[in-house]
Amino acid sequence: MNDTSEHIIEVRDLVVKYGDRTVLDGLNFQIRRGETFVILGGSGCGKSTLLRNLVGLMRPYSGEILFNGRDITTMTDDERIEVRKRVGMCFQGSALFNSMSLADNVALPLREHTRLASSTIDIQTKIKLALVGLSGFEEYLPAEISGGMKKRAGLARAMAMDPEIIFYDEPSAGLDPIVAAGLDMLIRKMQSTFNLTSVVVTHEMASVRLIADTVCMLNAGRIVGTGKIDELERSKDPFIQQFFERRPDEESDTRDDYIRSLMGIDLPGNAT
Amino acid sequence: MTAFIYTFGATGRVSLNALYALSRVCVLMVETINWTLVQPFRGRGLRMKAVVFNLVEYGVNSLPIVGLICFLIGAIMAMQSAYQLARFGATQYIANLVGVASMRELAPLMTAILLTGRSGSAIAAEIGTMKVAEEIDALEVMGLNPTKFLIVPKFLAMLIAIPCLTILATFIMILGGYMLSVFALGVDSDLYLNNTARALQMKDFATGFTKSVFFAVVICWVGVYRGFQVEGGAEGVGKMTTSSVVTSIFLIILVDLVFTALFFF
Ligand SMILES: Nc1ncnc2c1ncn2[C@@H]1O[C@H](COP(=O)(O)OP(=O)(O)OP(=O)(O)O)[C@@H](O)[C@H]1O
Ligand SMILES: [Mg+2]
Repeated sequence: MNDTSEHIIEVRDLVVKYGDRTVLDGLNFQIRRGETFVILGGSGCGKSTLLRNLVGLMRPYSGEILFNGRDITTMTDDERIEVRKRVGMCFQGSALFNSMSLADNVALPLREHTRLASSTIDIQTKIKLALVGLSGFEEYLPAEISGGMKKRAGLARAMAMDPEIIFYDEPSAGLDPIVAAGLDMLIRKMQSTFNLTSVVVTHEMASVRLIADTVCMLNAGRIVGTGKIDELERSKDPFIQQFFERRPDEESDTRDDYIRSLMGIDLPGNAT
Repeated sequence: MTAFIYTFGATGRVSLNALYALSRVCVLMVETINWTLVQPFRGRGLRMKAVVFNLVEYGVNSLPIVGLICFLIGAIMAMQSAYQLARFGATQYIANLVGVASMRELAPLMTAILLTGRSGSAIAAEIGTMKVAEEIDALEVMGLNPTKFLIVPKFLAMLIAIPCLTILATFIMILGGYMLSVFALGVDSDLYLNNTARALQMKDFATGFTKSVFFAVVICWVGVYRGFQVEGGAEGVGKMTTSSVVTSIFLIILVDLVFTALFFF
């Protein structure tokens, strides 16, 4: 095990704006090496935006994002490419390359970044697809597989370069409870077998309870609480209480329905 | 007074937008040229497979439609000139007219417009769809440069395909004129060929060829630029694809005007 006191990611005073509108307003947090760090928060509070900043797809307005102690916001392009080889990301819509087979999708970063022989790459690809339970589907195109399989293929692709850290944007959104639970187990498995750090954005309380080491709760662009899940559940913060009790905002019924439909599976015994 | 201020402001906004678009296009150009001409020699490689794949798509697969249309236009041109020239008993000069007009103007222009509809729109749609599906972001997160990966192969393929197609289109257009003149208007075959050969000069070829190279640049960059402009979902892709065709045809005509004027002197 690595030194757990060492932080793989450190965020300092992060401010992100779209035009004049501030979406994230001064975030400070650390992610420990090897933990599963869950980002929770209401719809539209900036979770995806935060993730895009952490992987360097967006430049923040101000603040620092340290990856292994080095600030990625001020890096040159070449340095950033080096960092990205050690980072994997699973997109909300899986973002597989539609013109390529699953095997080619997974092999792509290996072909572009390494000088491995093509037979080695083939084997690596097979291993990665087997890891997510997709052996036998190597030659399928993304259009020919289901949503849950796409998510898993996306994970296989993110794993291709054996990264130190994987970011997941809503891995179980839009999946049935059994597949969603399977994906949670997969995230757990990756973390325990490879000592991977996982950063997960999710809405699903069931999977938060299952996978989270640390939970970070966002509201209106600020962190309202960080800590273990049971610590947060005991919190006195009105927003956190509302979120955990699934109480709707007073005026809106539709939001209630929305959250209920997302969390209808909120019984950990059933989910696994 | 308010009307004046309003007009003034609107003009300013329009020119600012145009300037911004121009600067974006310039950045795109510099990046593309960097990844086409400089980086491959620093060991960053070129994706030759993708170039060949695109070359087949833009060049070989466009050949039937480009050939057919250019043949027909050659025939139409011969008929139209015959309508005028027959009055002076000068039908043998159809060859000169068709030959020069094809090589200098119509073959490059028709090829470019057909390729805009066929491949320029496809480039915009492909890149737009990839952007909407976060595939471009996925490339970047993997540390793969979208310019190298997506733009350069298309750019190179376009740059090879369009001039080659244009040369073929010129011959086919002349053939169309020949067939109509010889078989329908009774012009002597040898006379027609001789006149064509005498009418065409190196300068005519240079005009057509130069134009076709610049048309290729326009088609590719407009497609790419519009593709990257896509926001939102499928609707955005459709909108930008249409607009890529309109912008591209407009710029092609503009470039055509400039080069025709240059080679006029
Ligand atoms: N490209 C953009 N331009 C302008 N504003 C944006 C853009 N992307 C997101 N936003 C705004 O930023 C806010 C945060 O968006 P984000 O996608 O990060 O939310 P989220 O927390 O991921 O929501 P969800 O849980 O629904 O995915 C939203 O209010 C949105 O309106
Ligand atoms: Mg989101």
